Amino acid sequence: MNYRMIGYLLGIVLLIEAGLMLIPATVSLIYGEATMPFLATVAILLAIAIPLTVKKPKNTRIYARDGFITVASAWILLSAFGALPFVIGGAIPNYIDAFFETVSGFTTTGSTILREVESLPRGILFWRSFTHWVGGMGVLVFMLAILPSDNGRAMYLLRAEVPGVTKGKLVPKMRQSALILYGIYVVLTVIEAICLLCTGMPLYDSLVNAFATAGTGGFSVKDGSIGAYGNPAAEWVVAVFMLIFGINFNIYFLLLVKRFKDILKSEELRIYIIICTVATAVIAANICTSISGLGVADSIRAAFFQVTAIISTTGFSTADFNLWPSLSKTVLLIFMFLGACTGSTSGGLKISRVILVIKNAFRSVRKTISPRSVSVVRLEGEVLSEDTVKSASNHITVYLSILMISTMLISIDGFDFETNFTAVLSCISNIGPGFGAVGPMGSFADYSYFSKLLLSLVMLAGRLEFIPILVLFSPSAWKKH
Amino acid sequence: MNIIIVGCGTVGSSICTQLACEEHDITIVDADRDTLAEIANNSDVFGVVGNGADVSVLRKAGAEHADLLIAVSPNDELNILCCAAARKLGTKHTVARVRNPEYAGLLQILKDEMSLSFTINPELAAAKEIYRILRFPSAAKIDTFCHGRVELAQFTVAEGSPICGQTLIDLRKKHSVTFLVCGVVREGRAYIPSGDFCIAAGDSVCVTAPEKEISKFFKSIGVYKNPVKNVLIVGGGRTAYYLLEMLREGKIDASVIEGDKARCRELVEDFKNCTVINDNGTRQETLLEAGIEKADAFLALSDVDEENAIISMYAKTQNVGKVVTLISRMSYIDFFKNAGLDSIVSPRSSTTAQILRYVRSMAASHGSSIESLHKIMDGRLEAVELSVTDDIEGITGIPLKTLRPRQGVLVACIVRRNEVIIPSGDDAIEKDDRVIVVCADSGIEGLRDIL
Repeated sequence: MNYRMIGYLLGIVLLIEAGLMLIPATVSLIYGEATMPFLATVAILLAIAIPLTVKKPKNTRIYARDGFITVASAWILLSAFGALPFVIGGAIPNYIDAFFETVSGFTTTGSTILREVESLPRGILFWRSFTHWVGGMGVLVFMLAILPSDNGRAMYLLRAEVPGVTKGKLVPKMRQSALILYGIYVVLTVIEAICLLCTGMPLYDSLVNAFATAGTGGFSVKDGSIGAYGNPAAEWVVAVFMLIFGINFNIYFLLLVKRFKDILKSEELRIYIIICTVATAVIAANICTSISGLGVADSIRAAFFQVTAIISTTGFSTADFNLWPSLSKTVLLIFMFLGACTGSTSGGLKISRVILVIKNAFRSVRKTISPRSVSVVRLEGEVLSEDTVKSASNHITVYLSILMISTMLISIDGFDFETNFTAVLSCISNIGPGFGAVGPMGSFADYSYFSKLLLSLVMLAGRLEFIPILVLFSPSAWKKH
Repeated sequence: MNIIIVGCGTVGSSICTQLACEEHDITIVDADRDTLAEIANNSDVFGVVGNGADVSVLRKAGAEHADLLIAVSPNDELNILCCAAARKLGTKHTVARVRNPEYAGLLQILKDEMSLSFTINPELAAAKEIYRILRFPSAAKIDTFCHGRVELAQFTVAEGSPICGQTLIDLRKKHSVTFLVCGVVREGRAYIPSGDFCIAAGDSVCVTAPEKEISKFFKSIGVYKNPVKNVLIVGGGRTAYYLLEMLREGKIDASVIEGDKARCRELVEDFKNCTVINDNGTRQETLLEAGIEKADAFLALSDVDEENAIISMYAKTQNVGKVVTLISRMSYIDFFKNAGLDSIVSPRSSTTAQILRYVRSMAASHGSSIESLHKIMDGRLEAVELSVTDDIEGITGIPLKTLRPRQGVLVACIVRRNEVIIPSGDDAIEKDDRVIVVCADSGIEGLRDIL
């Protein structure tokens, strides 16, 4: 393993974090709050990163294993240092709580240990929401976009960080691909912020909510999430953008290069839109009839908002869906597993992966009926290699195993089953709220430190789609030969 | 530039890596998913799985907007077809590898009918290179520039050679020949030497000189060898076939040892004056019986690199004047060089150089264009021949000592009308000159890049 190169890359990631932290520091300055928590962290980051990056190693070759270990360590370090401003500033005095909150930010989960947020300084809250935006597209992708890479092997980094079934580049050059992805991301975020401004939301709130939507995170600066604004227009804007950020970014690239036909052909996009429409109709009907005093228009808005919030794994809320009838809750629970499209900033299993596994199951049935038949699995009109099919099945197996084991481990804390199960589910799919005590109006504050660390790890594993975290913790990856 | 490469065999992948390093946007097409995944992991390129002659695959690879398509799949017919299809779709230039000797006559027609920009034939290129070595066996390798007027010779300095321990200035004073040492490789590192560079035994040296002077140079340093009169070849493949044609023209006697009976018959049918022996060329007795001791030159041209290397080493022990070894795998070259083989010819590296020349001349800058490009010293140095088509401000008419080319670049030769100038600091590049530039990195596209 090339430790020097891994160290160098990690150093650059920390430098980037130091640079990014200057933004909330500026926000603190504008609102006349203490900038010390940020500046102290920047100083610590520089002290560690500069010795690592001062000299570029001669041997810059990295292989798959090094790539995965770099990505996993980068995310852990980012969160470990990103938590410092919360502790230094006293917003979250306990380091483990702050670490949980930061991991939840970078992994775009949005689960919180804070019971109320409105009393916190605005600079700190800005950083909390900004971590969503940074984590949504990925820090290493950002690094690839800004640094000229001198070898193609950095592809391993991109592949380890970008979620999805098929991981490819948009254009032949990796750096340009990364730039295009970030370009789309920035433009969409800016459009959302402008739209929110137009609905009458203050500038600060428009920005932080746009960050949280873009990364499909879900941290809010209000205790009542988006519902607290009492602004139906803003709710519609956020809902539509949650839907938009759940779509594969390749679709926007196709839009840019005017290949409209290919967009219409996208199987995953079609299914995503259909699922959202049907679910909105079902939930709207369900809550309209069972909750008294809720009008049709309000039901539709609340249903659409919650559907897009959960399926895109953002986790905002406009209503306490914990109190909704069980049909609606079950639909939302299924969406917690499902997630949105591959290649988006959302978490979960991803629709195309689920389609693929279901198709494979049908193929097995066909094969049992006529044992000699030969068939392949197609996705988006293309034949998938058996390796891709296998890795999708493996992904789901790992997902369910981690879900079960972690649920069991956090049950030690003694909460009810619904709370424990949806807490882990919400962390592994990077959603935010679950049901029960961790519902949209609850928090993760009451869990023990052990559970919080475990859930942090589960969030990281979910965001990086398991492999990097599993590689980091598997002894065979650290063997010399 | 947007470049599509069809086929990622040995040539395909080596062009792909090289061009990706030169900042081109590369899309590589191959039917094999695993090979493609391998290359996409190692270089910054885009892979498309499929048959290169399938229109939908070509569309997916972006043939409509590509500047260049290079077809180097193992199949000649597919390469031609794929170029034709890409041209129809809108690719600006196409290059196909066509190796079958039987298609040689068709190539001219193909170029026009199928609108091929040009075709490459690695075996033919290798045969040409071997033939040049045979014409001038004193050097380990020889490249020609400006229609043969300038020669670039590479040789290894032997232990006890009179030039050991001399600086380049001494060397030039002592020998009344016009020449310039333009590159030295020592312990795997390439140097563009200055006047106080001291030659040591074991160095690979490359020298430019006018065509008439190069023999004088080798005579004066005492390593001159007479041109080859008869050769012994092991392996009767395509390279041997092309070479035999050239040898027949050059009136050099050839004997070929080939293991395949049918192949032997074909060779005899086409070359009636050639002695063809049907036997295993790796057997010592076979080689002795074929007269290896009396041969002026021994050529190991079989398909197996390892066999070629081993029999070449054996030939060296038999004091054959000139031993040429054909090696396809680039990674072997350094290894066999260390084992004492100096004239190694690789079909792949000459093909790569041909394609690179073409790609760079497409991107040529104003005022000069690339006429030829040779990868020398096993690809460690590049020799580029540029023709100066126009006055370039800041370059033409300025003496080289004030021009000061950048580190690692040397103006090795200037050809002005019929005069070959080995430049000193007072010479200047003029309009309508041909200039040969040697550089340690790659990427010279025009004369401006020397600064």
